[in-house]
Amino acid sequence: MTDTWPRLDVHQSRTHEPTPYEYKLAATLEEVFTREGHELADVVRGLNTRQVHAADGAPWTEESFRAEMNRLGA
Amino acid sequence: MTLSSSATADHIYATGLRNQWHAVVPSHHVAPGAMRKVTALGEQWLLFRRSDGVLSMLADRCPHRGAPLSLGKHLGDRVACWYHGVEVEPDGTVSSVPGLPGCGLEGKKLVTSLPVREVAGAILAYFGDEEHPEPVELTLPEPLTDPEVDAFLCYAEWNAPWRYAVENLLDPMHGAFLHHESHTMSDGDTTAKFRIRETARGYFFEKTDQRGVNFDWVELCRTGVDWVDLSIPYPPSAGPGGPFGIVGMVCPVDERRSGVFFWRYRRVADWQRASWRFLYRTVIEQRHWDVLEQDRVMLEAMPADADQRENLYQHDLGVVRLRRLYRAAAEAQSAAGA
Ligand code: FES
Ligand SMILES: [Fe+2]
Repeated sequence: MTDTWPRLDVHQSRTHEPTPYEYKLAATLEEVFTREGHELADVVRGLNTRQVHAADGAPWTEESFRAEMNRLGA
Repeated sequence: MTLSSSATADHIYATGLRNQWHAVVPSHHVAPGAMRKVTALGEQWLLFRRSDGVLSMLADRCPHRGAPLSLGKHLGDRVACWYHGVEVEPDGTVSSVPGLPGCGLEGKKLVTSLPVREVAGAILAYFGDEEHPEPVELTLPEPLTDPEVDAFLCYAEWNAPWRYAVENLLDPMHGAFLHHESHTMSDGDTTAKFRIRETARGYFFEKTDQRGVNFDWVELCRTGVDWVDLSIPYPPSAGPGGPFGIVGMVCPVDERRSGVFFWRYRRVADWQRASWRFLYRTVIEQRHWDVLEQDRVMLEAMPADADQRENLYQHDLGVVRLRRLYRAAAEAQSAAGA
């Protein structure tokens, strides 16, 4: 740990640089939140209609989306 | 060496109030088994962490001839000065003088050691002066202790006096101008009437005619540590959970530098919490940072005599109140030591 001044780190919450999949998911999620609302069912449907699927290519279910958010947002 | 209570009021005003707690640096700046030199309240300090995680904070000055202990060696449970090897324990006691065993320095507590607490990822220390070595009671900001609130700490170092950084927070109206292009503050009126509302722990500075649209209120809290609380709405893209809050603290590093601590917090649970955390890390943190940089650029560019030649108006009442409070505290602390 250096003690150089000033310390100006943009990213202090990340554990890794987001993958292309994570960037894509985040951008789509923002759009879905904006256009479809904030209910879990609407969010899952919004992602699926945009064909932005889970990393394994499967359409989202409420369970799989929840699990993935818990992983990425732990 | 210790914080001298004979310091002038001007010195205290410039380098930070004594006899209270201040945030110093984030906890992760001092790894287990490591030590780190820091400046705070215009003085040099050594943060020392044992390998089991226990942290201590010592004046960075060897009791022998004043060499910086931070150049010394971490011995696991004490530090050895590089110059002549004198060993100092985390509580400031000299445990050994290798060059002259049995020397009278051994066993004496000759180095100032500040009480420390670690809170939500930050190191807080109590900076007492000679007359007030015992820490005052510390009540932590509720958003940082409430299990239903989730927070990320953002820490940054600014070349601006600590008071300018606090004044900036007691000046909500700058949000509608300086941050007008930002992701959270483009809405709301650019004119407003403000009032001060006193509380048992400080005061609110708030708009009388708008709430929940922009940066519409701020509360200054003095609870053993000085902090502010405020809330700003998120756009719908941030998902469910409502506005995000900020708990802010400022470390007076020295007369011209500050460490700023902003905990961005949100009252969220379950998948809503997880999705906010995911979005925060991936896209929102960068946007918050860009807003913070606007504050930094402005404050670092303020002339040194900015507060000597002002023409204040109604929106500056929160700042005026703050200065009066801090000035009076600095005068009182200086007089007590005279
Ligand atoms: S100055 Fe530290 S041991 Fe002499
Ligand atoms: Fe700001």
